[in-house]
Amino acid sequence: MSIERETFAAAMRAFLFCFLLTAPALAQTYTLSGKVSDTAGHAVPSATVTAKSVATQKSFTAETNSDGMYSIRDLAGGDYEVSAVAGELQAPAIKVTLADAQTTDLTVSLAPKGAAGLPNAPQQQQGPPANPNAPSLSDLGFTTQQTQPNTELQARLTKRTEMLKIHQRLGLITAIPMAATLITGPMAKAKGKKGETITEPTDANLDFHAALGGLTTALYFTTASYAIFAPRIPNNPKHGGIRWHEALAWVHGPGMILTPILGYMAYQQENSGEKPHGFPAQHGTVAWITASAYGASIVAVSWPIHLKFWEKK
Amino acid sequence: MKPSFLFGLALAVSAAAPVFAQPDTQYVLQQSSLSYHMSHPMHEVDGTSHAARGKGICHAGQCDFLIAAPVKSFDSGDTNRDLHMLEATRGAQFPMVQVRTHFAESEIQASTVYADLEVEFAGQTAHYTHVAFQRTQQGSAVRITGTIPALCSDFKIDRPSFLTVPIKNEIPVHVDMTWQKQ
Repeated sequence: MSIERETFAAAMRAFLFCFLLTAPALAQTYTLSGKVSDTAGHAVPSATVTAKSVATQKSFTAETNSDGMYSIRDLAGGDYEVSAVAGELQAPAIKVTLADAQTTDLTVSLAPKGAAGLPNAPQQQQGPPANPNAPSLSDLGFTTQQTQPNTELQARLTKRTEMLKIHQRLGLITAIPMAATLITGPMAKAKGKKGETITEPTDANLDFHAALGGLTTALYFTTASYAIFAPRIPNNPKHGGIRWHEALAWVHGPGMILTPILGYMAYQQENSGEKPHGFPAQHGTVAWITASAYGASIVAVSWPIHLKFWEKK
Repeated sequence: MKPSFLFGLALAVSAAAPVFAQPDTQYVLQQSSLSYHMSHPMHEVDGTSHAARGKGICHAGQCDFLIAAPVKSFDSGDTNRDLHMLEATRGAQFPMVQVRTHFAESEIQASTVYADLEVEFAGQTAHYTHVAFQRTQQGSAVRITGTIPALCSDFKIDRPSFLTVPIKNEIPVHVDMTWQKQ
């Protein structure tokens, strides 16, 4: 096997390894659906059904339609406590495990709050005594749109946050092999044992550099996918550091495509006895610009940074 | 009974009537600034809302005030952070933050007003007792400033994290309101 093929194979192995590492994050999701009815069996529209993950304590909600039907999509597998509420009606938490079937059907029966058989009925908060003269929310002139709950938007926000958390973590992890790839780049032309310059890259250095590059590329695009496919929130014009974060993606994104291509072309030129020339000779420069833009985008989304973070405030 | 006595009694009753049947006094929130402060090892962030509305009704010497603001009206200077806060505080499901308080009308005149607050936020209700607010008279308006010592845990909020490090539990809310007596 030629050095070229071995290098390519090493990069592919790194890519596959990384893909397998991140695959569980893209794993199967589950849907919880069913009907909410009252004790007489009548459908209850506009009831809020909440599925709370036992493991993460995250809650996912849905509202029933006019037929009392609800559906909570994109749930991760595991144990959930499902509860429902509609005005003065509520249901105790029901334990459900989402594991085998992709869609789990659960019918929820509501009873008046505080009724017997509702061990999980929440205690009412004891506030100040109600005063008939006290102003109410309706006295303040807010629109219905402002005061009404939007469970669909909450579900989108939850999904968005989950995806962006993964984006953030993977983004930080990606910075490690990216830095290592930059460091190992010049080593492909390191001085030999007796001090002479090695004009031909050594197999080991090149393989390592290519493997790191492959790992970085795979992690980078996996990271990017979590931001690209995160749900969009309508009517929400962007401002602040996030604008720089996204603008810099237009630099490091193309850079992450271009860098490995130029690296491969430069290697081919060296392999055929030529000194890298033309665009391939810019492989290192493009890599540094890409990494710098990547670092700047992390700083942008972290701004303003409290630099003396070790000091007690 | 002498007519002059009856006339005198009627005069006294009519003179005293406004005292016993005082009309309600109302206060309306003219302008406000509500700011939560969030601490993270790498950040010190304030999110501010100027969208609060409020009303106070004083009846028979007792006053009830309600101040409310849409959760999504808080702006920290970064859309991404605000959406994260909106998600963490369940702001789409519970879109309003509401503060209620009740005290005697005579207490409003003091330079420092101590209020018991009932705060409804993120689907939870928390009570804060004896919160001090500074009162300044500005012409016909009254300016009230103070800080509500709120905690994320008071409202069962999963603390938002950045770079995998969560923010501090304390999210004090600074209040600066100008009320106009109607």
